[in-house]
Amino acid sequence: MGKINYLPKPLFLERMQKLFPDKKDFENYMEILKQEPVRSIRCNTLKISPENLKRRLEKKGWKIKQPFKEFPEIFIIEGKYIRSFQSLTNKNKSTNTNSQEDLALTKFSRKIVRNADLEPYKSSSISESNLMNLEPGELGRALEHLLGYYYVQEIASMLPVLILKPKPNETILDLCSAPGSKTTQIASEMKNTGLIIANEIKLGRVKILATNLQRCGVMNVIITKKDGWFLCDKLKKENFLFDKILIDAPCSGEGTIRSSPKTNLMWNIRKIKSLSGLQKNLVSAAIKVLKLRGELIYSTCTHAPEENEEVADYILKKFPEMKLEEIKLPLKIRQGIIKWENREYSKEIKKCARIYPQDNNTEGFFIAKFRKIK
Amino acid sequence: MNIQFLNQNEKNKITEKLKEQFGIEKIPFNLIKIGQERIMAISEKIKKEEIEKIQNIAFIEGIGVYFAKEIENEIRLSIEGTHLLKEQISKNIFELNEKQAEQWMQGNELNLSTGKKGFIIIKFNDDFLGTGKASENKIGNFIPKNRRLKAREFNYQYLQ
Repeated sequence: MGKINYLPKPLFLERMQKLFPDKKDFENYMEILKQEPVRSIRCNTLKISPENLKRRLEKKGWKIKQPFKEFPEIFIIEGKYIRSFQSLTNKNKSTNTNSQEDLALTKFSRKIVRNADLEPYKSSSISESNLMNLEPGELGRALEHLLGYYYVQEIASMLPVLILKPKPNETILDLCSAPGSKTTQIASEMKNTGLIIANEIKLGRVKILATNLQRCGVMNVIITKKDGWFLCDKLKKENFLFDKILIDAPCSGEGTIRSSPKTNLMWNIRKIKSLSGLQKNLVSAAIKVLKLRGELIYSTCTHAPEENEEVADYILKKFPEMKLEEIKLPLKIRQGIIKWENREYSKEIKKCARIYPQDNNTEGFFIAKFRKIK
Repeated sequence: MNIQFLNQNEKNKITEKLKEQFGIEKIPFNLIKIGQERIMAISEKIKKEEIEKIQNIAFIEGIGVYFAKEIENEIRLSIEGTHLLKEQISKNIFELNEKQAEQWMQGNELNLSTGKKGFIIIKFNDDFLGTGKASENKIGNFIPKNRRLKAREFNYQYLQ
């Protein structure tokens, strides 16, 4: 079953061409959108070590790659080994009267072959020709996932927390926390100590958040359901301050088009403008509950400059106590842009990071790291 | 959310029950009770005063991890409860084989005689799979729906 293809709107394409003035770069961007996203997971170190998880998953026949030496908890699942398609084909021809399945197997279909059809393989028989894709949803249905040993998470979505660098015993606010990928990542880094306030405004998403936090065994969290601006205002009145704050803001999601082409259908420029206002309000409110020398990470999964650089520029101009800091990551990042349409942003904005799908074979992301200096 | 922070005395009582049931000596985190039965585990940094402060600011939708239930003077550990204390669990452990573990994780009760009565810890290889209730010829299953394996997903095809 193929995905329904939602075509990008002309204005979106026009804007992306402006972001990628180099023709080849734009072509590469469009090309990677057609490719299946890489399957990545993050080992939940609250429950199992990356070495043990890797060993277990490899025993299941999964091919694991750990792309970053300094972050062994990040895994890419390149596929799973089976004994051979040829032997499967032969076996099914002799035992299976389902002609459709026979046909699919002889065509080496990667999707119709189900777990029950797969036979244990011997190490001597492993070769790249025995490698096939995991089935859709297989990562989420595996025993190791149900037991909370890993979290299915796109690599670009792991980056904000790598920059936040949570430490044990800190007090951290995750202002827009559902579905919980980054909250569980923060808890892992904090070794389940300290305190995370995980806030989410929508009830349905709070339930998903709570389920994921439970599965991952997160003990250092309190979940609230409030408008982020309102919550920060109340926290400020109680003088409840944080060492670090993560605002993974609601956004137009342009960076997720590869895995969720439906974003194309919902994309519209008015939404981008209104989200930009909401994002500015959220960051402005959060700054008030950040401790002196505290760090605030602002991230989105979109490329729209109105939701990214414009928000960062607004913060720099409105809050002189906030300073942008350089971002270092173990993959290719591009600087924030300082000119968009008729607007010019502070040169400091170059310190922000743009993550493009074609650079690292990931989704798209934007990250800004602020520090409160006075 | 009605949150009751358990003091040292109340925590000691739960530790005593866990020692009797599963050989657990120490609970290395704070406990709170939600409603009559549900016991949540929270990190030691989260103090009673902090919870009260946040309750004044916003309704608390969730806190910590669901750790156990107190049922008729016995403690039933959740899956996460068994994970958090796995190093200490030394009594009333019942080890399943692969086929039984598959059935267990699908949410089925097991028609097995364990020689025990009451709550037992279910284990398969290195995995702690929560708590079951043993009676004469079966083990009652408490795996929540969202943690159950779908049929045909228990793929233990290990390298030979």
